[in-house]
Amino acid sequence: MEIQLLQQPDSAIARVIFNAREELVAEAGAMIAMNGYLNVSTTLRQGKGGGILGGLKRMFAGESLFLSVFRSPTAGCELFLAPKLLGDIFHYQVSNVGLVVQATSYLASGSDVDIELGFQGFKSLFSGESIFWLNISGKGDLLLSSFGAIYEIEVDGEYVVDTGHIVAFEKTLNFEIGKPGSSWLGAFLGGEGLVCRFKGKGRLFCQTHNASAFGQLVGAQLPPR
Amino acid sequence: MKYEIRYKPSFAAIFITLDPGESITAEAGAMTSMDGKLSMKTEFSGGFFSGLLKKFFGGESLFVNKFINETQEPLQVVLTQPTIGDIEAIELKSDREIYFQSGAYIAHTKGLNIGVGWAGFSSWFAGEGLFKLKVSSKSKGLVFFGAYGGITKKKITGEFVVDSGHLVAYEPAIKMSVGLAGGLLGSVTSGEGFVNKLSGNGDIYLQSRSIDGLVRFLRPKFF
Repeated sequence: MEIQLLQQPDSAIARVIFNAREELVAEAGAMIAMNGYLNVSTTLRQGKGGGILGGLKRMFAGESLFLSVFRSPTAGCELFLAPKLLGDIFHYQVSNVGLVVQATSYLASGSDVDIELGFQGFKSLFSGESIFWLNISGKGDLLLSSFGAIYEIEVDGEYVVDTGHIVAFEKTLNFEIGKPGSSWLGAFLGGEGLVCRFKGKGRLFCQTHNASAFGQLVGAQLPPR
Repeated sequence: MKYEIRYKPSFAAIFITLDPGESITAEAGAMTSMDGKLSMKTEFSGGFFSGLLKKFFGGESLFVNKFINETQEPLQVVLTQPTIGDIEAIELKSDREIYFQSGAYIAHTKGLNIGVGWAGFSSWFAGEGLFKLKVSSKSKGLVFFGAYGGITKKKITGEFVVDSGHLVAYEPAIKMSVGLAGGLLGSVTSGEGFVNKLSGNGDIYLQSRSIDGLVRFLRPKFF
């Protein structure tokens, strides 16, 4: 499978070229265009993180109940995928190190990638992200989307991310909710509020912007529905 | 201090590396991520009264955050704005001034002073704020500002007309007055309405889109 990312970072679109009998799983509604002979089915996904229960759990996580599966009968089939909002797509190669993904950032993955709904504990309530996280393991391609550009930080020691800006992080990292400076008063008066303090060694992916912050800015000026 | 503005023009973000002992002051909530060892201090934006003025009239936050590198190694901080769009930096030499429309300011280095000035009723009629943010320099410093859409710098001599809501920053030598884009009928039918008539010599910064325009588009239509 070959994946190209086009129109980065503001209106990113992923172009996937399949080899024979390859499979890609994507968030429902992410398909923009494809070859006519690509087989499409929807799944609740079998196996780990699959079945009806897995689907219902995905719904809780802000994802759709169903996932689309694209299966290529021959080599050279093409598929274009994109998220709904403006923003970037990031291509991550899943290997032995598992990845924790903020649930709404998931776009697509190869068939050997396992997606399971995770729970990062009650600290997630304060992280500015959805309460649910996806635990990604297995092997293969993974596509993530964001509102804003995605940048990577190699964390070694300690790193602070403002709430609402986390896209994904490797499982070798752990985070806790904390204050950005030395005082709690400063944290709230200074508008930063709570932050996520990462510890460990591994790769961390952040988004430059935040859909809800922009939404609040524009939404506040709109009349009530 | 080294800085780089990445992902221009749609998702611009400022990646700043602070050397030991250096600091940068940023608008509340501008920090996206930073090294865990960087110290953050919250203070009034230039004192209590000046901070209050800036909050109510300058469209900026009452508090600002100062990021200080108290370690012996370079540390990174990433700053951005809530709206999507471009970010620019202006270097101010001694005794230079620049005015910003409310909400445009993001961050500044030491050596600069931020205050609020009266922009006048013509500014208000032209779709900008009644007050403006005044950035002046005692020695030398950098100020970062952002906009919704791309930022275009333009040097004007004499008269220049800008549509309301698109002026982000301008130099003090430039005066504003409100006017119609054409004749009375032409202004209404062309959809331009009131415009901002600038005169003077200096640099102006324009944003390629306006939040007002987006809000008007999203607003429910009645016909």
